[in-house]
Amino acid sequence: MSHLESDQIPCVEVLTSVVFLIEDAVDQLPNAFALTNHLNTCPACQAEVAHEQAVKAMMQDVLRRSCDEKAPDDLHQSVQNLLSQHLEGGVSSVMTQFSMTEISIEIDEFGNVEHREVQIEQTHIAHFIDDDESGHN
Amino acid sequence: MTSKDLVLESAADRTSRFERDALVFMDQLYAAALRYTKNPEDARDLVQDTYLKAFTSFHQFEDGTNLRAWLYRVLTTTFINSYRKGQRQPQLAHNELEDWQVASAQSHTSDQGKSAEVEALENLPDSDIKRALQEIPEDFRIAVYLADVEGFSYKEIAEIVGTPAGTVMSRLHRGRKLLREKLAVYAAELGYGKEVEK
Repeated sequence: MSHLESDQIPCVEVLTSVVFLIEDAVDQLPNAFALTNHLNTCPACQAEVAHEQAVKAMMQDVLRRSCDEKAPDDLHQSVQNLLSQHLEGGVSSVMTQFSMTEISIEIDEFGNVEHREVQIEQTHIAHFIDDDESGHN
Repeated sequence: MTSKDLVLESAADRTSRFERDALVFMDQLYAAALRYTKNPEDARDLVQDTYLKAFTSFHQFEDGTNLRAWLYRVLTTTFINSYRKGQRQPQLAHNELEDWQVASAQSHTSDQGKSAEVEALENLPDSDIKRALQEIPEDFRIAVYLADVEGFSYKEIAEIVGTPAGTVMSRLHRGRKLLREKLAVYAAELGYGKEVEK
């Protein structure tokens, strides 16, 4: 077929969206319906997605096997010590609160997506027995 | 559960709850810290800082939600805010991340290419896998590690790292691609996949 119907998309669109397919995140894409339709009828794209899935699974096995270091014994010990010191130091009645505010702006105009992020960190100390718990989350 | 319940928990009870529930993740957090910082000394410090911060803000943690994800969030935020500030590593501009589609595959992979990739993955030693992971840019490394080693979903990673889901997808896509390219080079050095080159 030399021309694509309006609801049809070329293979390249599937290939560039492979990560969404293998992360089970197709619903995040505006062309999810067309993608699924294309996949149902295109063996080459099916093979590509299957390969990506297989490589992802293999990569996960290999990475998990490689990255399995155990924390040294003395680290276990020093973390325990830290916690005890923290209690004995009488600071248990004080809470340090860390919070982060993120402002994210996306402008989509004429097909262009601009992206800006602003992150604001806050640290504030609150008394543990203080009833003034700002009901955040 | 409201946070008020947690506020009324005694310090001792809270401590034992923390020790029981949070300390079991130390090996995992240490392995992640090694990937983040790339050296054992910083990894130890990062894990200690993480546990201290997690402990002091444990009252904010809602029982019944995902403690492991919460600890990874503390670990990752601590790393991003403290440790990497000391490094001179250039950060990726966020708008740069959005053009990932341009850099991605434009045509189908050949069957030979597919089997060469599988062969490489089956045969590479662990040391090469870790080396490849070390060499990819930090933001990509964190995303790939959280997804492929820890098995977090892209939505969880967005929470942990504090970025929009689209940015996570982009980092995952490019990070995995870079990782695979590096592994292909190592595999070729070891003699795998040579027949594909003709």
